[in-house]
Amino acid sequence: MTTSNFDRRYLLMMAVGLFILLVVIYPLWQVFFRSFLDAGAFSLKSYRKVFAYPAYYRALLNSVWVSCVTAALCMVSGTLLAFLVVRTDLPCKKFLRTLLVLPYALPSFFAAIAWIQLLGPQGYLARLFFQLSGWETAPWNIYSAGGIVFVLTVHYFILVFITVAGALERMDASLEEAARASGANTYRIMREITLPLVLPAILAGGLLAFIGALANFGIPALLGMRARFFVLTTSIYYALAIPDFGLATALSSMLVVVALVSMTFQFALQKGEGRYTVISGKSVRPSELRLRSMRYPLFSCTAVFVFCISIVPIFSMVLTALLKYWGAPLAQASLTLEHFAYILKLDTGGRAIVNSLFLAAVAATLTTFVGILISYMHVKARLKGSRILDFLATIPYAVPHTVIAIAMILAWAKPPVSLYGTMWIILVAYLAVYLPFAVRTTNSTLQQIHNSLEEAARVSGAKIFPRLRDIILPLAWPGMIAGWILVFMPALRELTVSILLYAYHTETIGVVVFNLQDAGYREVAAALASIVMGLLIVGNTVIRRLTGGAAGF
Amino acid sequence: MEKIRILNLSKRYGKVLAVDSATFSVEDKEFFSLLGPSGCGKSTVLRCVAGLEEPTEGEIYIGQTRVNSTVDGINVPTEFRPIGMVFQNYAVWPHMTVYENIAYPLKIKKLPKELIQAKLKVALHTVGLERLADRYPNQLSGGEQQRVALARALIKEPEVLLLDEPLSNLDAKLREQMRFELKDLQRRTGIPILYVTHDQAEALAMSDRLAVMNAGRIIQVGAPTEIYTHPADRFVADFIGLMNFLPGRVLGRSGEEATVEFLGGHRLNVADRSGLSGGCVVAVRPEDITLSLTGPIRCRVEVRNYSGNLVDYKVRADDAVLRVQTPKTEIFAEGKELGITIHRAMLFQLGEGRGSG
Repeated sequence: MTTSNFDRRYLLMMAVGLFILLVVIYPLWQVFFRSFLDAGAFSLKSYRKVFAYPAYYRALLNSVWVSCVTAALCMVSGTLLAFLVVRTDLPCKKFLRTLLVLPYALPSFFAAIAWIQLLGPQGYLARLFFQLSGWETAPWNIYSAGGIVFVLTVHYFILVFITVAGALERMDASLEEAARASGANTYRIMREITLPLVLPAILAGGLLAFIGALANFGIPALLGMRARFFVLTTSIYYALAIPDFGLATALSSMLVVVALVSMTFQFALQKGEGRYTVISGKSVRPSELRLRSMRYPLFSCTAVFVFCISIVPIFSMVLTALLKYWGAPLAQASLTLEHFAYILKLDTGGRAIVNSLFLAAVAATLTTFVGILISYMHVKARLKGSRILDFLATIPYAVPHTVIAIAMILAWAKPPVSLYGTMWIILVAYLAVYLPFAVRTTNSTLQQIHNSLEEAARVSGAKIFPRLRDIILPLAWPGMIAGWILVFMPALRELTVSILLYAYHTETIGVVVFNLQDAGYREVAAALASIVMGLLIVGNTVIRRLTGGAAGF
Repeated sequence: MEKIRILNLSKRYGKVLAVDSATFSVEDKEFFSLLGPSGCGKSTVLRCVAGLEEPTEGEIYIGQTRVNSTVDGINVPTEFRPIGMVFQNYAVWPHMTVYENIAYPLKIKKLPKELIQAKLKVALHTVGLERLADRYPNQLSGGEQQRVALARALIKEPEVLLLDEPLSNLDAKLREQMRFELKDLQRRTGIPILYVTHDQAEALAMSDRLAVMNAGRIIQVGAPTEIYTHPADRFVADFIGLMNFLPGRVLGRSGEEATVEFLGGHRLNVADRSGLSGGCVVAVRPEDITLSLTGPIRCRVEVRNYSGNLVDYKVRADDAVLRVQTPKTEIFAEGKELGITIHRAMLFQLGEGRGSG
């Protein structure tokens, strides 16, 4: 009786293991392996090339400094906003918070496009500035390293905000009260008690922002390539266009190394956070700092800032989509829906929407399905070896998407299995990209189901299949739906992977928006982007409702 | 007839030996408890019987069936064992009604619908949940959920019932009441029960026999009265009930009686078969001491706690502090100089059975 039952579970484990091997391990190994290969023999030639040409090693340096500056700015702005929104009596805090999170629900290259519309030459804000100041040229240039850092910061500061706000909320109020009882005033308490206690959270959030900025492709691609300012991700894109696979893999390996190092730091910080007494599970609300006369001035500043980074870009995108032509004077502007009609009638546009919907739905379904299997074996059945499976499935989380795309080309674009130019290669890449996210949600879903619930079913005489059907799946269902949407939404708007893997007929929404924008069809790009934004905002609302605010942005 | 038989059961987690060659058996119709401090391995034993953990060594029989044998590589999966089990947190499925919860084991057995309905009617009546059959668990109190779990465990008429600290999540009043109900239920059904608890009062009150465990080992198996009056070692003496431990000396023995000297020269004849000589530990239950104005050992009342049915004192006698419990007939004031009389004592070896619990 025993053996047959156990064999089946291990058979399942082997199937999942094979899946991970084909989708994650083998492709990523190819990147690493090929970077040391030249004409079939071991060689450091590709790495030498990186350091021989300033263009390439500068990309590495650019990546690092842009990400560092972005992370620093994110830490300052994110922490400041978190303090204001969590620890003070600022009015309308809940509303501000909802708005703050909004930009992150939209893809970063949408943000880049919107900020080009706003601050670029002829941008809405630029024109407003000319009118007000009487200047002829703007003292800034969005197509520059500065522009990249700015848009990256606007996109990623929320990561710091969320970690710091969380730490502030979980903080034990008695720690501050003890300082107050010792005679310290509010300012000293903030500086000497509160800030040191949330410092690990600030650093952890900063590292998340660093990793995000490092791996980002859309923003430096739209803002930097025109100014010939390259970072690692855009250099890889460029190397693939040559094409020089050796160079692309060498750059990728370096990108992965930088990402891995920072991720290790991030994990260490999160682990260390437990040692701090701040984070107790108690729900004692920390006291609110009273701003008194500063209340309304600070509120106005915050509100203007939040309005600028969340509402204004969306408004700008929709406005651009509705304008007859880009740069039309706004005073007597006549609005039109023809760009929307055009993009939907355009072969590529309709096709891209169908392709993206298909890819996102299939990727979400498969990753959730595989995710729940891995989680069941790992979290519930605790089968031997399931830990490794869980770990392997999480690896792509640390790998920038550009690298994953290259890995797929190396692994699956050569005979005997050539998927290049088909939807399937994009799908496989999506599976690798989103598997870690799916596993994470299914893991936490299953962790919330107490072990004894399944054990009670075993005692009742239920074997593995009835147990999954009657107990585990019904209880995990809401979490699985939330997990599905959490994969579906980002996959729908995905750019980085598909821009490197698409071919004629397999364009995705991201590819079409990017190419239209790049080719100067800004109004049409904005129209398609507006449609997707609508979908994403609705989807985000649905998922927050479904999970009671636990998931979504 | 033995309903559960456990032979040399050991369970190892990495380097930790959670259960160390435990051997005992549960008779038919018997209420048998595994008692010990948290982490002593009692729950692990129960989970091995349930098949939720696989023993590292040993054999387990349920009825006539050998469900575990590490020598012959037998480990019958939980779902094939004739057991019912109630978990500490009840494990009532939140997405099923009371009815569906209790009917589940029968549904798994694929019994005909009419039969399930008939059996459910009886079961719901037995635990007094007829009117709550269509409710979901989140609409039930802790005590009601407990009854659902109990009914679910009994519905498939298992050979044995396993209970894992089922009362520990209930409030004090309800816990008392459930003690009687469980006992009553067992009398009526005659099902043998293996009960795990860290609450010695609970174990003493309900069990026909109990096994006291410490650090993975079974220290003593016996009826409650036997364990209370003749604890096998100092650990059991300390863990079960209250006990005063005093340093003493065996002066001599005749037959099964030993003469000890303690509390600064006080001598007492103690029934003892241990054969101890020289330095020893004299253990005295608080209720085996009486306070009076004329008692032979002089003492002073330091703290008095009145707790309704009895009075609890801490008295100091010759540098030792003793716990004394007396009926409330005579109440002495704090600070009063008195005398104590010790009626009964036990002897243990020095330094034995300490440091745990």
